[in-house]
Parts: sequence; structure tokens; C-alpha cells
Amino acid sequence: MTTPSEDIIDRWLEAVAAQLPPETRADITDELRELIVSRMEAKEAELGRDLTADEVEGVLREIGHPLAVAARYRAGPDSLIGPELLPWWLYGVKAGLLVLLAIHALSLVVTLISGPRDPGQAISQAFHGFFGSGLTLIGALTLAGAIMEHYRIRPKWMTEWRAKDLSLFGLSDPTTWGVKAREASKTSTAGGVNIRPVQVRVGGSSPAGEAVFSILALGLFVLWWLGLVSFPGLATFEVADQPVTVAGAPVWTTLYAPILAFALVQMAVDLFTLINPTAERLRALFRAAVAAANLVLLWFIAQAGDLFVLTSAGQKATVAIDQAYLTLDWLRMLDERGRDLPGVASTLSIVLTWSAVVMAISLLGSAMLNLWRTVRPKVA
Amino acid sequence: MSADDELFESMRLELRRGSLVLAVLACLRTERYGYTLRQALAADGLEMEESTLYPLLRRLESQGLLLSEWREEEKRRKRFYVLSPLGASLLERLTAEWRAIGGSLDRLL
Repeated sequence: MTTPSEDIIDRWLEAVAAQLPPETRADITDELRELIVSRMEAKEAELGRDLTADEVEGVLREIGHPLAVAARYRAGPDSLIGPELLPWWLYGVKAGLLVLLAIHALSLVVTLISGPRDPGQAISQAFHGFFGSGLTLIGALTLAGAIMEHYRIRPKWMTEWRAKDLSLFGLSDPTTWGVKAREASKTSTAGGVNIRPVQVRVGGSSPAGEAVFSILALGLFVLWWLGLVSFPGLATFEVADQPVTVAGAPVWTTLYAPILAFALVQMAVDLFTLINPTAERLRALFRAAVAAANLVLLWFIAQAGDLFVLTSAGQKATVAIDQAYLTLDWLRMLDERGRDLPGVASTLSIVLTWSAVVMAISLLGSAMLNLWRTVRPKVA
Repeated sequence: MSADDELFESMRLELRRGSLVLAVLACLRTERYGYTLRQALAADGLEMEESTLYPLLRRLESQGLLLSEWREEEKRRKRFYVLSPLGASLLERLTAEWRAIGGSLDRLL
């Protein structure tokens, strides 16, 4: 028959044992039992009597909570994400949340432009969507971080970084946005020693930083393209109190596989940038090819014209890229478009047509700039 | 406890943390079991919680620096630890390092 004190000790040891691997369980609990008994004997000698149940509890409390005691014996990392990985995890979370925020904000703007019956509900849905996807992102990054911590995985881009690739990491701090190096490059002289103020450079060329953002954004796009995540407000919204369904035009079915392949190739190029930060010419060549492929893809989409069909209360309107919208008059008339289905469709068509032009110019510039980088002489 | 005291305590613990392994290795030149080892450390002014000491003993043993043996003493089975040959050689090198650091700090302080 066990005494109350033995019973308390057994319960504490059982709780510790349950957290330990089976192969070391008995050995560790035997040693802990011996420790507890030694401490109790010392206390009993001091008091000149047996310990009460409360005093035994006190001894166990001094040794520690079973979870904390067992955790000290665990092999492997002490934390889910250790101090070395934590800054990367934090940056990934911040950057990912910013991308998600941009996507949900865009979705909300589209919804609000269409004049929903209940704007409050649209805003609430956008918040709900942002928090839901944000929590999923944090969970996924935590899981990835925990796996890297457990198996001591440290990719090359974490260890072989270069100072010139770091500028975009400043984007995690919104208070530094827009601060340019040149604005901060004033020098001052004190006691004959030139002191150059700390220069914050954000928004300049940063291959690694751009690649991290690009991978996050493209990763989200691929998940959405495959139908694994959804963004409320992109597929349905309201116009004049009527629900509007958005259906993709046939061009998206035709280009489904090429667009998916293109996104995956672009992610591979970004990954290459992270893994081989010094292979500048090869990276530039890949980027030029990606920009050219993107231009071809844009050309096919523009040639198809029709992008989406909006359906509401039996009425249909098409959102299309149309060369006819490329006059300043259409831009000026943008805010005069009606709030009915044809009006919303033509507003979206104008915006998308002009966006396509801006994108085409930017892609052309990117292709040419990267081609130049492949052939320009190296700076000594 | 004031903020200053808390800061001091946190820095004091940080300062001690690195020296505990050396103290444990030094104390185990003589064979001891966990409870008496803790008492010996405390007697020399190095209080150490059991939840830190016992897992540390296992880690040092798994690194080959300690040898251990279950033995009966005063009608109870106890696990005795003692420095291994590898532990003794490492202790010698760590002691030299510790004295060098101490010398440098003495000059700085």
C-alpha cells in the first residue's frame, strides 16, 4: 500500500515519464525519484519529522513542472523556431502579410467600385478573408521553420548572402518606405573625422529581396490558380444590389496550363536567384527570357480580347482588353461610367487595357535591361 | 524587483551559464551522484537547479565526457557520475581557457 506522499511522487513522475522517449523513460524517472527522496530526507532531517503531503508538493514544485523538467531532457532544439531562423520567419510573415493585404485590398476595391448592397458586409468579408489567409500563411511558415529548425536545414541564401541584396529587407519596416540612399548620403565632419550617416536604401535593385517577394506572391497565385485558396470578392460581387458572377473567358481555359507553367518557371528563376546570388549574368538571362515569355503571354491574352463575362439578373457584360480604350478621353471618362453592369464592365475594361499597356512597356524594359546585363562588361 | 535589478539578474545568469559546465566537470573529478553534486556546487557558491543539472549530466555523458554507474548506497540505488578520460582532457583545456579569459578580464576591470 502506498503512502499519500509516494502517491504524489508517483503522479509527478508519471507526468514526466509521459513526455519522455520510451528508451530513456525508466532511467530518467529512476534518477528523478532518487533526487526527490534525497531532498525529502534532507528536509525531514531538518524538521525532525515526516513531511506532510503539502510539503512534498512543495519539494516537487521546487524541482519544476513535469512538462518543463521533461523538456530539459529532450534532444534537439529547445524552441520551435530558434534565434537564428526567427528573423527570417518574421520577415516571411511580414512580407507575406503585406502581399495578402494588397490582394485583399484589391479585391475589396473591385467589390466597392461595383457598388455593393452592403459595403459594411463587403469590408467585413475582406477582413475575414485577410485574417483567414494570414493565419494560414503564419501556420505554413511556422511549420516550414520548425522543420528547418529540427533538421538544421540552412539554405545557401541564408548563409551566403551579399550586402547588395539586402535593401528590400527594409520593406518590413513601413516607417522606412520611400527613404532613398541619395537623400541620406550627406556627410558631416566632426573632429576631422568624416562621419557618414547611416543610409537607408529601400526600393533599389535587390535581387534576393525581390526574389523572396516574388516567390511569396507567385506561390499564392499558383495556389489560387489551382483552386486551393480563394479570395472572396474576385469571383462574385454586387452591382446595383444584384449579385454578379464572374466567369473567365475561354482564353483562360486555353492558357490555363501555359500560365501555370509560366508561374512555376518564374518561381524556379527566383529560387535560382536566392541559391546563386552571384550568378548575375545567368540570372539576367533567365529574367530576360521570363520577361519575353510574359510579353508573349500578354500578347495572346490581348489578342483574345474578352477576359471575363459578368452575369447579373439575366444580363451579361464582357470585360475585355480593347485597343479602342487607349485614348485619354476614355481615361478622363473613367469616373463617369455608370454603376450598372455595362458601366462596371467598361470601367474594368479600361483599367485592364491600360494596365496591360503599362505591363507590356515594363516587360519590354525588363527584357532589354536584363539582356544588356548579360553582355555588359563587368565592373572591376 | 526593480527594472535595474531584473536586468542585473538576467546578466548575472547569462554570465554564470557558461561557467556551469566547467564547474560540473571540475566537481566530478571525484565520483558523486546528482544530489551530492548539487550540494557540493552550492557549498562553493554555485547554486544550480536540479532541472538544469540532471539533463546537463546526461548531455555530458552522451558527449563522452562523463561515465555513470547505478550503484546501491545507504539501501538506495543511486546513479554515480565521474569524469571520463576525455572529460579530464577537455577540463584541462577549458581550465586554461577560463584562466586566460579571467586574466584578460582582470586587466580590463
